[in-house]
Amino acid sequence: MASVSVEAVRKRYGALEVIHGIDIQIPDGEFVVLVGPSGCGKSTLLRMIAGLEEISGGVIRIGDKVVNEVPSKDRDIAMVFQNYALYPHMTVRENMGFSLKLRKAERGVIAERVKKASQILGLDPYLERYPKQLSGGQRQRVAMGRAIVRNPQVFLFDEPLSNLDAKLRVQMRTEIKALHQQLKTTSIYVTHDQIEAMTMADRIVVMHDGIVEQIGSPLELYERPNNLFVAGFIGSPAINLIKGTLRRDGGRNWVATEAGIDLPLNGNASGQDGQPVVYGIRPEHLVPADNGGLPVTVSVVEPTGASTFVYADLSGAQICGVFAEHPGVNPGSRMTMMPRLDRVHLFDAGSGQRLAG
Amino acid sequence: MVSLAQDVAPSSRSGRLSAEATWGLIMLLPYIAIFLTFVLYPVGYGLYLGTEVKAYQRIFDDPIFLRTLANTVIFLGLAVNLKLMLALLLSGFFVHERRWIRWLSFIFILPWAIPSIPTILSFRWMLNAEWGMINSLIFQFTFQDGPGWLLDRVYGLGSIITIHIWKYLPFWTLILVAARLTISKDLYESADVDGASGLQKFLYITFPGVRNMYITSTLLSTIWTLGDFNSIYLLTGGGPADSTQVLATLGIRYAFGMSEVRAGVATIIVALPFMVPIVVLMVKRLRGEDR
Ligand SMILES: Nc1ncnc2c1ncn2[C@@H]1O[C@H](COP(=O)(O)OP(=O)(O)OP(=O)(O)O)[C@@H](O)[C@H]1O
Ligand SMILES: [Mg+2]
Repeated sequence: MASVSVEAVRKRYGALEVIHGIDIQIPDGEFVVLVGPSGCGKSTLLRMIAGLEEISGGVIRIGDKVVNEVPSKDRDIAMVFQNYALYPHMTVRENMGFSLKLRKAERGVIAERVKKASQILGLDPYLERYPKQLSGGQRQRVAMGRAIVRNPQVFLFDEPLSNLDAKLRVQMRTEIKALHQQLKTTSIYVTHDQIEAMTMADRIVVMHDGIVEQIGSPLELYERPNNLFVAGFIGSPAINLIKGTLRRDGGRNWVATEAGIDLPLNGNASGQDGQPVVYGIRPEHLVPADNGGLPVTVSVVEPTGASTFVYADLSGAQICGVFAEHPGVNPGSRMTMMPRLDRVHLFDAGSGQRLAG
Repeated sequence: MVSLAQDVAPSSRSGRLSAEATWGLIMLLPYIAIFLTFVLYPVGYGLYLGTEVKAYQRIFDDPIFLRTLANTVIFLGLAVNLKLMLALLLSGFFVHERRWIRWLSFIFILPWAIPSIPTILSFRWMLNAEWGMINSLIFQFTFQDGPGWLLDRVYGLGSIITIHIWKYLPFWTLILVAARLTISKDLYESADVDGASGLQKFLYITFPGVRNMYITSTLLSTIWTLGDFNSIYLLTGGGPADSTQVLATLGIRYAFGMSEVRAGVATIIVALPFMVPIVVLMVKRLRGEDR
């Protein structure tokens, strides 16, 4: 096992730069998830770590060794591809043992490791089958098995669950997480699904347009997003973001929207009077209030059983509230929602950066 | 099952066709007529011409025929296999997506695209032992006379095979490029991570991936190469002294050169016991019954 360090890494395709200097330190044994919207450069970064893509600038280390010029096969990594990349003309057993065979491991060793991995993944009954005779989920497992058999320093995953149906995806993500707790191999996992990121990661790296927006534990990102992008990306349903102007008067702070609504703030909020800001409150941090909250007109009510989603109109702004108890409202009815003041996020409207406080 | 079939097709029982079926038959008639006239009749007549046993005695008594049979086997064996192996090798180059490789492939395809008569004839002149370009060059550099390229059985067959490969290599290369393109790039990347060398990637990924197409190509090329008349006729004309004849050219020689049509047909029919299984296998593969 080993740490991985990415230092000021850049990637250019001809004149086009798609990764603009990324720094990530991954300690030994950590499970890091790279997440971000499509095209932000997650796969490219992962492939540079894997040695499948040249590094245009900066340094990548695995352990203490700079690997910029080290070919993929000598980086001691294993990769699980989105489409699994199973060798179609080899059986499951041959697929799993292939890398060891290439590395001239003894037959006995290969057989034993394949056996162990197939037991862990429940692949025993399928060892003599060919990939095309397997279901999507089974193929996914074989791809995992091929990676574990190697016992590498680092596991790399590029959206390994995106071809599975929703139910299997949830099941496999728990399995991968359990596997990591058992093997404790440093893992870097790419996904564009923020729920996958939140549930699996020790730490999440949020990427956007070839840069890192924020690195932190799932809870840190949820509770203290550094900027509007991270705030909007993490959390489901998405955070409510309302534009307005910061007002300070004596000890009292609030955000005045253009429609003339005052959004309540803590006494210790930072920022200057008159500053254009974006007011963020997560749907689950709104509570139904009898008075003194935000007056809204309900447009859609979605009971999910465990909680109820209420979509509503706040003088032209769409907001969403999630309530544990059904608030007993119908479309068209009016209600008031009160933000939990300790859960309000305030961002500068110009830079999108979080305002301290 | 039986009752179902009767339910579905009651009209055919009553001896009347539906309007749709009638029109379908009418539309098919021209095709059936053309098929009968231009496919079944010539083939049938050809086979009929080949039913005379004396013709076979005649050709098997001819020492030229036996040598021709040997030439054909040599020609097929070497030309088909060398050509496809080279095509497999070259396809590994032309499969790369570079602009200059794209341009190069346009030039590379030329021998296949242009008509054979002028090109093969010009090769014939280039290979002329006394004043051909190739021997002139050899003489200029070594002050030795070059070999008589078309004046001897071994050199003649060698030249024929070379020209045949030159002509048809581009086509098979493109076919195998297409086959290679169906292999997912992921597999090569996965093999890179797994630690495979270039040769190992070829053995474990590329070849298994194009294997089916390679075998199909070999069968098809065998059929077409047997019918390649131009490369031999235009280059050596089967000479010198009939030493480079193959079945296709010898058949023509019997039929037209010596006005022995039945011997000519018999020459071609001799190849049928070998060709029919290949054709059957080929059709089966193309219909995917072989997997
Ligand atoms: N070979 C290439 N040549 C030019 N541009 C490329 C190449 N490969 C990727 N890019 C560009 O690099 C950027 C990042 O691509 P990348 O595949 O890393 O995105 P991603 O974050 O993995 O997205 P997704 O979630 O859709 O997989 C994209 O804008 C893409 O268009
Ligand atoms: Mg990607």
